[in-house]
Amino acid sequence: MASASAASLCRFQPFQNQPTKTSGLVTRTSSSLQLVSNGWAKSGFSSLRTSRLQICCSAKHETVQKVVEIVRKQLALPPESEVTPDSKFASLGADSLDTVEIVMGLEEEFGISVEEESSQNISTVQEAADLIEKLVEKKAAA
Amino acid sequence: MGASRGPRLSGMQKQVLSLYRGFLRAARAKSAEDRQQIESLVSSEFRRNAKEVDRKNFLYIEYLLRRAKKQLDQLRSPDVVGLSALNVSFSQTKHPTN
Repeated sequence: MASASAASLCRFQPFQNQPTKTSGLVTRTSSSLQLVSNGWAKSGFSSLRTSRLQICCSAKHETVQKVVEIVRKQLALPPESEVTPDSKFASLGADSLDTVEIVMGLEEEFGISVEEESSQNISTVQEAADLIEKLVEKKAAA
Repeated sequence: MGASRGPRLSGMQKQVLSLYRGFLRAARAKSAEDRQQIESLVSSEFRRNAKEVDRKNFLYIEYLLRRAKKQLDQLRSPDVVGLSALNVSFSQTKHPTN
């Protein structure tokens, strides 16, 4: 409930012309949104604000798409085959060696380093995308 | 939650996967051409053994693990350019050329 209301507040932020209130709201939400608040503080145009917010919201989708692409390439899947975020690597025909290769490919694509422990827990596209977002965020914060 | 994610792997399987990762990591440090060669060689070798070696043949798997660890240590050295020495021994066993 709390998270839902925070998200909806964040969604309407670009339409409010109250910078002080905006930053106060943003700091209470997740760290990925703090990046956005920095952008707002610097840019004065409301149009820019909206575009930044779109980037923030679609990042998840972009990551998933990128993961899907890499998985397709790694497993040499035909273009007509369907890969959804919930697709399990195993059901796409990947064995454990393929999974290692996929994770290595993702590491290079996103410039991150996946620890061995967590890489063995990845079995779906969505799980991979979630982990990547977490690691990219951590890297940006460091 | 942990159990529902992916297959449960034995300690030995984890060791093998960790070695595979290690080889692919080590290959990244080499030149593009060598890297590709190392990757295809390592990949085919792991896959061949995964298919051919009986999963209960622990002694042999342990031997392969020990051997691979030594090979990986050598490959990690920046002086080692590629897996050509290994490649020769593999190709000799498969199709003797000289």
